[in-house]
Amino acid sequence: MTKVLLSIHVLAAIVAIGPVTVAASMFPARVRAGADPAALRTLHRICRVYAVVGIVVPVFGLATARSLGVLGDAWLIVSIGLTALAATVLGLLVLPRQQRILAAPPDRGGRAPARLAMYTGTFNLLWVAVTVLMIVRPGSTTGA
Amino acid sequence: MSVRALRIAAGAELVTLAVLLVNLATAHWPQVSSLFGPAHGCAYLFVVIGTVRLSTAARTRVMALVPGIGGLLVLRRLGRRLSA
Repeated sequence: MTKVLLSIHVLAAIVAIGPVTVAASMFPARVRAGADPAALRTLHRICRVYAVVGIVVPVFGLATARSLGVLGDAWLIVSIGLTALAATVLGLLVLPRQQRILAAPPDRGGRAPARLAMYTGTFNLLWVAVTVLMIVRPGSTTGA
Repeated sequence: MSVRALRIAAGAELVTLAVLLVNLATAHWPQVSSLFGPAHGCAYLFVVIGTVRLSTAARTRVMALVPGIGGLLVLRRLGRRLSA
């Protein structure tokens, strides 16, 4: 059963977090390039919808961890903390700021897209850190 | 999140909980519990987040937190508001 749970966890991470990473990264660049609002709305919709689908990742991640008996491991606790931080950045900074830009397109040379790009970059870096932790698992004895 | 998505999540929330409870009372296969447990958790969280997006009413949002039937209660409240 661990293998089934782990498969769902990894599949959900690829399918849900991948689109959010790409669409969120494209959003500020497209704003600065003066893209059509319809295209921006689509990018925002991808981010919003797949962010919700992304709930599957931590839920099945916890189930996998419990079934492997690694819930108390330091690498996992750090990963959970970083995931919570990434979710907060996405939910409280990236998505609302995208929405604000959609509601009132900023002037050329405005700071809003740059700020948004910074928060999006932070979100992406946090996910990279979590992914690397999941692969390296420092201090784990369950093999590579 | 659309009302349609919320309807699917609300149905999944109830069905997965029913599967878990029936399994607990009868065969109690650990495989069923470990697969439907997280599935129910996801459906529950989908309902809570979907409700927060769809409604600003505090009562409706609190209803989403009710285990098992929270999603259906929210849909009933939303339906009543839409038809009123």
